Amino acid sequence: MMQTFIGGASLRNPVLLASGPAGYGLEYEGLVDLRRLGGVVTKTITLEPRAGNPGRRLQETGGGLLNSIGLENVGAAVFFSEKLPALLEAGIMPVVSLGAEDWDDYLRLLDAAAGREGVDVVELNLSCPNVERGGMAIGTDPELVALYVRHAKETLGDAAVIAKLTPNVSDITTLALAAEQAGADAITAINTVVGMDIDVEQRRPVFRRVRAGLSGPAIMPIALDAVWRISRVVDIPVIGSGGISSVRDAMKFFMAGARAVQVGTAVFYDPALPEAIVDALERDGLPGSLP
Amino acid sequence: MSGAARGTFRARIVRSVRVSPSTRIVVFERPNGFPEALPGQFVSVRVSEGIAPLLRRPYSIMDLAAGEIELLVKVVGHGSALLAGASTGTVMEIAGPLGGTTFPDPGKEPAVFVAGGTGLAPMIFAARSWKRRRLLGPAALVSGAACGDELLTTLCEADFSSVHGATIDGSCGFEGDAVELLESLIGAGKISGGVLYSCGPAGMVRALQQRVAGSFTGHWTSLEAVMACGVGACRGCTVPLRGGALKAVCSDGTVFDAGAIDWEAWEG
Repeated sequence: MMQTFIGGASLRNPVLLASGPAGYGLEYEGLVDLRRLGGVVTKTITLEPRAGNPGRRLQETGGGLLNSIGLENVGAAVFFSEKLPALLEAGIMPVVSLGAEDWDDYLRLLDAAAGREGVDVVELNLSCPNVERGGMAIGTDPELVALYVRHAKETLGDAAVIAKLTPNVSDITTLALAAEQAGADAITAINTVVGMDIDVEQRRPVFRRVRAGLSGPAIMPIALDAVWRISRVVDIPVIGSGGISSVRDAMKFFMAGARAVQVGTAVFYDPALPEAIVDALERDGLPGSLP
Repeated sequence: MSGAARGTFRARIVRSVRVSPSTRIVVFERPNGFPEALPGQFVSVRVSEGIAPLLRRPYSIMDLAAGEIELLVKVVGHGSALLAGASTGTVMEIAGPLGGTTFPDPGKEPAVFVAGGTGLAPMIFAARSWKRRRLLGPAALVSGAACGDELLTTLCEADFSSVHGATIDGSCGFEGDAVELLESLIGAGKISGGVLYSCGPAGMVRALQQRVAGSFTGHWTSLEAVMACGVGACRGCTVPLRGGALKAVCSDGTVFDAGAIDWEAWEG
């Protein structure tokens, strides 16, 4: 009953850990039973390892968290040889988040991912605000979103392809429609909202890159609105992500039209939440989407 | 750290003792199943059931014995004020023990501990747990504070063979900071060599490494950082090492060889 389909892939339930906070999954051993979840969206993997951004990377805000991690990750080779097999070994469903700085890197990354055991669902991170190249620079242009999605579908065979979209555009539904028309199997909405903060004593921006990505409860109404609007114009599943911090928040996303949800920032302070959402869904069933 | 013994627990505050105008010792009842911890490890405390503040707060374990978890809490903002202000009986969620590295014991060498502010907490835990396991020989503590009211050396005089306090305003003990005091103790021949352990503000640890670490056979420091996940997943609390690698304070630390850190690049 809880089984959820993304393209041809089956998840045991519609509750996932969001990319970024989830790390490579196993970091949460002892704190979250990831086997009970529908899946874990891994940190975004790039072709080459990335050290991420220097300087301060986190700043709490009212009800939110600004981050400027900068896609720190181990790179495709280590991810596919070590991190992914460890997730599979542990009985955890991986959703592999892929990102690229440029088109050549992207094609090579897709080649590296294609046909691998455990690459049944990928989420394209077309929306990271914390990197110079790639990320949001791609994800704000519907034609580029379509191009990236189409190549992923062509290269990855039967694997389901999710496009994760940025809210930092005037109309996110345009991006969603572009992704759907290019063959995406699902949409994740939303990535972080761009913001900044200033260190008053030091008289300088908190982050070296100045702008950062806002997550947490503060952005939930923005995410809910995006899911509501996208799910009314596309036929593919929409995965709601952005500020879910209670079971009730998750229910709102299902009512807005989401077919699955991702918990991100909340796992930092309430690691039991993803399982609590699963418990509630098992007990009460999925709340239907509002008309 | 996969498979590490740790978890999330609900724990009750059994005691909260004011030890300076800004600082309290907050003692949680050790929950059933809370694993053993080693010096340098920490817990992360959800100080509010709501979303203000949003993140849990990391605290070094000051002691873990006799069914209790002791933390040293200095009020520096909203989160610490909630924890310091919580009354006896309050239940909070704590995750731990966290931290992937711990202080190596000094072996047969003397140990010199240098603490800035609440950096005293892991120094006390190291001294007490090594003493209980008969791993500690001569042990000196050098601790600094802004003024005499804030100097916490009286908390732990029994834990070290000698305790030396410094205050910036000179109102108690040596006038100056902890690093200057250690330099003067070395100059006077009262401290000579051994293993150096430290925890405190980045500026203090940087100065220790640059000015006095050469007098010791090693310098191990437990770093402080703003953290989100506390388990190495989010990569929010990285520290730059010499050579350029970035390590997570929460899971690759909190204890580092201070000589390996790129002190020019780290803001702390």
